[in-house]
Amino acid sequence: MSYLTFLVIGLGGGAVIAALGLGVVVTYRASRVVNFAHAAMGMYIAFAYYELRATGDMVLPILGLPARVPLLDRPTEVTAFALCMLLAAACGAVIYLLIFRPLRGAPALARVVASLGLFVYLIAIVGLRFGGQGAAALVLDGPLPNDLVVWGALKVPADRYWLTLIVLVLAGLLSLGYRFTRLGLATRAVAGNERGAILLGISPNVVGVVNWIVATMLAGGTLILAGPIVRLDPATTSLLIVPAVAAALPGRFNSIWVTVLTGFAIGMAQSEILFLQSQWSWLPDIGLQKGVALVVVLFALVLRGDVLPDRASAAGTRLPRASNARNVPFVAIGLLVVGIAATLFVSSDWRSGIIVTSIATIVALSVVVITGYVGQISLATFAIAGVAAFSMVRFADDIGLPFPLAPAAGILVAVAIGQVIALPALRVRGLNLAIATLAMAVAIEELLFRWSWFTGGFEGATTESPSFLGIDLGVSAIGDAFPRRTFVIMTLVAAALSLIVVSNLRRSSTGRRWLAVRSNERAAAAAGISVTWVKLSAFALSSALAGLAGVLIAYHRTIVSASSFGVFESLIAVAITYLAGIASPLGAVLAGVLASEGLLTVALDSISDSASSYQFAVSGILLIVAAIKFPEGIVGIRSAGGTRS
Amino acid sequence: MPSHDDSMTLLETTGLSVTFGGLHAVEQVDISIQVGGFVGLIGPNGAGKTTFIDAITGFVPVSEGTIVFDGQRIDDLAPDVRARRGLTRTFQQLELFEDLTVLDNLLAAAENPKWTDMILDAFHPGRASTSTADVDWALGVVDMADTCDRYPSELSHGQRKLIAVARALAARPKLLLLDEPAAGLDTTESQALGEQLRRLVEHDTTVLLVDHDMGLVLSVCDYIYVLDSGGVIAEGTPAEVRNDPNVISAYLGSHADEAGADDASESGR
Repeated sequence: MSYLTFLVIGLGGGAVIAALGLGVVVTYRASRVVNFAHAAMGMYIAFAYYELRATGDMVLPILGLPARVPLLDRPTEVTAFALCMLLAAACGAVIYLLIFRPLRGAPALARVVASLGLFVYLIAIVGLRFGGQGAAALVLDGPLPNDLVVWGALKVPADRYWLTLIVLVLAGLLSLGYRFTRLGLATRAVAGNERGAILLGISPNVVGVVNWIVATMLAGGTLILAGPIVRLDPATTSLLIVPAVAAALPGRFNSIWVTVLTGFAIGMAQSEILFLQSQWSWLPDIGLQKGVALVVVLFALVLRGDVLPDRASAAGTRLPRASNARNVPFVAIGLLVVGIAATLFVSSDWRSGIIVTSIATIVALSVVVITGYVGQISLATFAIAGVAAFSMVRFADDIGLPFPLAPAAGILVAVAIGQVIALPALRVRGLNLAIATLAMAVAIEELLFRWSWFTGGFEGATTESPSFLGIDLGVSAIGDAFPRRTFVIMTLVAAALSLIVVSNLRRSSTGRRWLAVRSNERAAAAAGISVTWVKLSAFALSSALAGLAGVLIAYHRTIVSASSFGVFESLIAVAITYLAGIASPLGAVLAGVLASEGLLTVALDSISDSASSYQFAVSGILLIVAAIKFPEGIVGIRSAGGTRS
Repeated sequence: MPSHDDSMTLLETTGLSVTFGGLHAVEQVDISIQVGGFVGLIGPNGAGKTTFIDAITGFVPVSEGTIVFDGQRIDDLAPDVRARRGLTRTFQQLELFEDLTVLDNLLAAAENPKWTDMILDAFHPGRASTSTADVDWALGVVDMADTCDRYPSELSHGQRKLIAVARALAARPKLLLLDEPAAGLDTTESQALGEQLRRLVEHDTTVLLVDHDMGLVLSVCDYIYVLDSGGVIAEGTPAEVRNDPNVISAYLGSHADEAGADDASESGR
């Protein structure tokens, strides 16, 4: 009977996934955008609701406006809910009109980046507006009754049933609305053929605004009601987008009922797996339930993909022109010299900034190779970096490998994992690849990074201080001597070498094949280029760079923690690299400077105490602007208006 | 079929069929191309010409029949493997690498790097490419050497067509398949292209030219296959094909005055 209990308890999570999946479908139908920030938008609305209930203040999400507006002393549940639905409607309309309407017809990557920018912004704004404690400070007494309903041996809190009922009713209303209302018909017309719809006198703007309002209210409303079930938290709640997208995929972002059913199925399977883990001791007691979404994604995508795009859909991803990178090796050596000279004189804070910027440059180079040069959107960069970091500690602790061998072995493991992540790229491309790699990254985080043997369990994974030929290369020192200068110089050298290698490859036969595949896979194959080999080798190099960054992060932190290698970090890395210039090695350097805790943060901190806390939120806004206005990134602005007609 | 020495046969399809769902796009096609030949494949729109080329080059799967190229079965090979064996093609839609200069477009097609080259490239990028001579030759054949540092987007439509041909030539193929190279060109450009293509024979390149522009095909090819509704309805020398009653009836109605009608519509753009 307990099998059934857990299945029924899973209705709660399933209803949330189904409702979020529905929102993804609604926005996709109206504007061809898979909004990675959809769950984050709902998360913010739910935060606003619980804060409003507790304090009577409405928290506004826009930088520059007052943070909170006192509205009522003790709003009732109904008042608070209604006010937050108004807030959701406003947010939906503004986000569509300001961000996604201008991006209609923009390349897949620009739309992905804009939604990542929104994602980053929302998480940052929740951090700024609700303080460091986040959801821990909220009182989560949800509006739904949650007393136990006893049905024979089946004891399940009532909110599961309520939520299921509500989501099913909403799905029914939506499907009726699409079928029988004028606006619903217009939406279906726009989804089918936007140009044709415009010719018939349907305004895609009205359709877009209304659908975005509906989707945002749906996400906000569901997460308010499900607040106690999902235990609101900026990071985990906004990543509910992964199962939500998984639910929407089998119905090709179009079918309401397939999405709802898949959503419920994912939630219930997750709950059941949780139970089975307690029953069958041979099952690993780690995040298997997050693997459900990955399995759905892989089945839906990979079995359907083709090795080469067909004649009709051959249009490639439009990406910024790749600079020829001829001068980069000289710039790299120049930066290295300046960096080393600075290291000898600057204070501890600035040396930390140099370390973080060097490592972030290597991460960004990993993104430049795979996304900028080969056109494959991978959202798993930090998952791969983390694999290298944890493996290195295992090689050092369990086998006793010494310094240069342990990190090298760790990087090799990262390359192997990178090849696995690359497999979907052989069959799917663009947005679908982004979804597949995101699901992979979540699975790695939940499966590998919570596996106590791999991560060192209770004691954690402590790195051995590296030393080579008697020179101490470690970071640790007392007081102002931290971080040690030799470590700073080691990261600088690693970054400079990575820059030189990537730019050398760019301007040789390897780079020509990368860009050929990026331009046009069919033509590349016809020119004798093995598209499979190009993708796998580029993923290998990209993973090696991510792995190098991972082991350096491990040495920098001295204790490896899964929190350094989360999905959020991967999303930020792609987003910041895009902002800086995704098809240019020097863009990667700029991305390193812009990275959190990097040189920009140190500079901001030296100006004012609070300046750097706005860095993420501002980056999020800049990203959205960049995706719309400067698809070539900051480094490309200089040469914009150049040769491309 | 003219009798040739078998060792001179470069490409031979036997009973080649391609089926999409229930639709027979190409049905039981037997063609044979001799080394050094300049063979044409014509047919009205929708006759299955591009599907036939796609099947030979590996872009659509063959449902039935065999393809033998240079003495070996190739019907199970991936497109890039066939290309490296010496079977290159152009596309009807221009599929140049927009992110690469003309020179790099040709180099990417001409080079055949091994995996070790990736490691060499990382540390010694300035090495002279082994394919520079092939690329210079290919640019010379189409008379476009002065465009090598430009990007495809900076060239005219006609120039891009020539670069597409040059890219397919740069790999020094044994057989070059040209898919409607004259589409979108006006009469003069089309004739100039014909003359340049004719020169390929002097360079020991075997060519299969696919087009619905009868004028071009009749003027440059020495042997012609006519495709209609997925099957071969006639074959022979230009003179034979020109007078074949099957060909005339296939072209009547859709293309009353085939070459003339095409030229008029193209130059009217």
